[in-house]
Amino acid sequence: MADQAIEVEGLVKRFGGLAAVDGLDLSVRTGEVHGFLGSNGAGKSTTVRVLLGLYRATAGRVRVFGLDPAEHAAEVTRRISYVPGEVGLWPNLTGQEVLDALAGLRGTRDQAAERRLADAFALDPRKLVRTYSKGNRQKVVLVAAFAARTDLLVLDEPTSGLDPLMEELFQSCVREAAAAGRTVLLSSHILAEVEELCESVTIIKDGRLVESGRLADMRHLAASAVTARLSQEQAAVVADRLRPLGLAGPGPVGPDLRLSVPRERIPAVLGLLAEVDARDITCTPAKLEDLFLRHYQVAAR
Amino acid sequence: MNLTRLLLRRYRVLIGAWTVLVIALSGATVSGYQTTYRTAEQRRTAVELARHNPASTFLYGRLTGPGTPASMFTWEIGAIVTVLAAVAAVLVAIAVTRAEEDDGMLELLRSCGLGGAAPLRGALAVLVLTAALWTLGCTAAVGVWTGHTDGVTWSGAVAFGAVVGLTFLVVAVLAVALAQVAPSAAGARVLGFTTVGVAFAIRAVADTRGAGRLNWLTPLGLRATVRPFAENRWWVLAVYGAVALALAGLAVALSGRREYGAGLVRRRDRRDTRLIIRSGFGLAERLARRSVIVWTVAVACVGTMFAAMGSAVVQQSRDGDLGGFLASQLGTGDPTAAYFATSGTVIGLTVSTFAVLCVLRNTQEETAGLTAQVLAAGTRRWAPLAWQVVVTALGSAVVLVATGALTALVAPTAIDGPHVAVRAFGYAVGQWPAATALAGWTALLAGLRPRLTWLAWIPLIGSGVLALLGPLLGVPARVRDLGVFQHVPDAAAAHPDLWPLLVLLALAAAAAVLGVAATTRRDLTTG
Repeated sequence: MADQAIEVEGLVKRFGGLAAVDGLDLSVRTGEVHGFLGSNGAGKSTTVRVLLGLYRATAGRVRVFGLDPAEHAAEVTRRISYVPGEVGLWPNLTGQEVLDALAGLRGTRDQAAERRLADAFALDPRKLVRTYSKGNRQKVVLVAAFAARTDLLVLDEPTSGLDPLMEELFQSCVREAAAAGRTVLLSSHILAEVEELCESVTIIKDGRLVESGRLADMRHLAASAVTARLSQEQAAVVADRLRPLGLAGPGPVGPDLRLSVPRERIPAVLGLLAEVDARDITCTPAKLEDLFLRHYQVAAR
Repeated sequence: MNLTRLLLRRYRVLIGAWTVLVIALSGATVSGYQTTYRTAEQRRTAVELARHNPASTFLYGRLTGPGTPASMFTWEIGAIVTVLAAVAAVLVAIAVTRAEEDDGMLELLRSCGLGGAAPLRGALAVLVLTAALWTLGCTAAVGVWTGHTDGVTWSGAVAFGAVVGLTFLVVAVLAVALAQVAPSAAGARVLGFTTVGVAFAIRAVADTRGAGRLNWLTPLGLRATVRPFAENRWWVLAVYGAVALALAGLAVALSGRREYGAGLVRRRDRRDTRLIIRSGFGLAERLARRSVIVWTVAVACVGTMFAAMGSAVVQQSRDGDLGGFLASQLGTGDPTAAYFATSGTVIGLTVSTFAVLCVLRNTQEETAGLTAQVLAAGTRRWAPLAWQVVVTALGSAVVLVATGALTALVAPTAIDGPHVAVRAFGYAVGQWPAATALAGWTALLAGLRPRLTWLAWIPLIGSGVLALLGPLLGVPARVRDLGVFQHVPDAAAAHPDLWPLLVLLALAAAAAVLGVAATTRRDLTTG
């Protein structure tokens, strides 16, 4: 099996004059859970549709399992389970019939897994799709996706209609899939979910790559959050000594200190806080949210 | 009032297209009845022919009155336009009421401070406005010919316009009342069309069995009871206006007794069935099954009605003094063959409507994101459209074979003449190439440009106009042959000419293959 389940280099997808994706690189190793982040309209769904062969790339090289999905869509998608963000299903079929149909099209099936997952998701598959809520429609497709015998799960904002209990279940399903050696591409803008599940992330904005890599490495590169409680005297001393480091403004620092500290400065800052005997010192590595917001806020200015 | 404007804005294409069709058809054909027949003698012959033509009596009713161009127009175009108005009424009425509710659009509107009855009042206002527009439009389009076409008067034009508008209104309000009962918009549509079918059947019985009084009971008989350009019975219009008002009251009363999003009749929303398929064909077949059954019943009813009603009138035309010019007009010379040819044209029109709608499902599924699901399950890009075309062709065959078989059973008991059963079957099943040709054309559009699929209706409407109106409007045979419905040979002939049918089939296959190939060269359409 190839080392990379998905390889995208310089992907461009234009609709008329508008470039929805503009020179994107994306690579997903076989067996990893990869987060795909971006705001609404950043080009996530467009990229996903190119990966599935539903859209043809305007330019760039796209390989899924080493094949070009534009030329070998069926060979590629036979090994993929896809969960779209907006789940449209045939309103006059029952949930069970939809599961039958999708499995029948694929040609392979694990009915026991389907039944187990439908029970776990508390889905009544005998009901007509038109009576399902958005969340229930999503469950039908999630059951089909996790139960199918596929190597790659492409999940495009899969949990937007699920309640917190089902969200929990969804996460354990993803972990189970990863443990079974399946690759997962999870497109999302629920950052906590991605942080919880993914080893690597790719962040895109306006169809372009802004950051990609292992989450642990990215956290290292980003600033950590340091907090502490200070008395008035301590605050004055700390403010004076932080200023040369470029971490404090000209004014005094408050009794509740809250700092964003680059990785190389952390020992110095923590040393300083320990020296002045500050209380309740915490140091938290950067959250995905901070990484994400940094890219988006910089551009917003 | 704002809601009415919103509904008009949202459905402007649907309402606008029908408005243009109805008014243009009325206005464009009036003078044709004057110019086609140069001499009074010729027109008298044509009128005589029409009075003795069993198929047109079944379709349009009895041609009464003095036989002026105006009365021929009211008889033939009036019948077609009122049937179109009834069909449009069901579609528009369900669209602005239950479909709006099933889509979830109304939920948002009702949360914006609208009272419970406001949406229904808004929808009724849309229907009244449309009816008024059609009345004015048809009146003007026909009235301007006053002085140019014999028998056309402004008062008659007003009566004609009012008949069209009121037929629309009565059927539409009836459909709105049915929409309160049916469990879903689709169910309401089937109920609505069934009502139109019954209304047509009553009118056909009234005219073919000489039971003219039955025409009082059906909105499609309004034209025969009001008699524009002849008697202009205004009070009949007033009676039907009162009926529309009463039906509107009924609809409002019924709507107060049902839940939002559900009809008075509850649907079954849980079942234990499975769907075991091995390819996209199985899925397409399962999804089309219900509509194939509904269309089979509908078309078989139309065919059987033709067969059962033909008896008296075929006899009459055979006994009638039809010589020379009239005989040549009947074409094959045999009234049975002519009768079933017309019956076949109507069957072809309806089954082709099914075929176009069935292929269009592919485009609807594509924009609804369903095709994406199918493709993401390892299906080839060309397969969804290809299977849909195959299912459409097979579905059309089922509809036609069932219709042909049923008419072949019924016809010999009602009509006597040579080869009745063979002809009844042959003229029905012979429309299959026409239906597949239109399906192929639709597939070509669906494959190339899903946005242009509205063009799928153009050849269907064009062929229908050529087939039904061509002869009386004196359209040259060369032009009439461009339509797809009139190439079925007489199955009882010694050497039936099958070439035109083979050409249609070849066109169908070529268009479908091109359309299917085109899907592999474009992006999926989404949202």
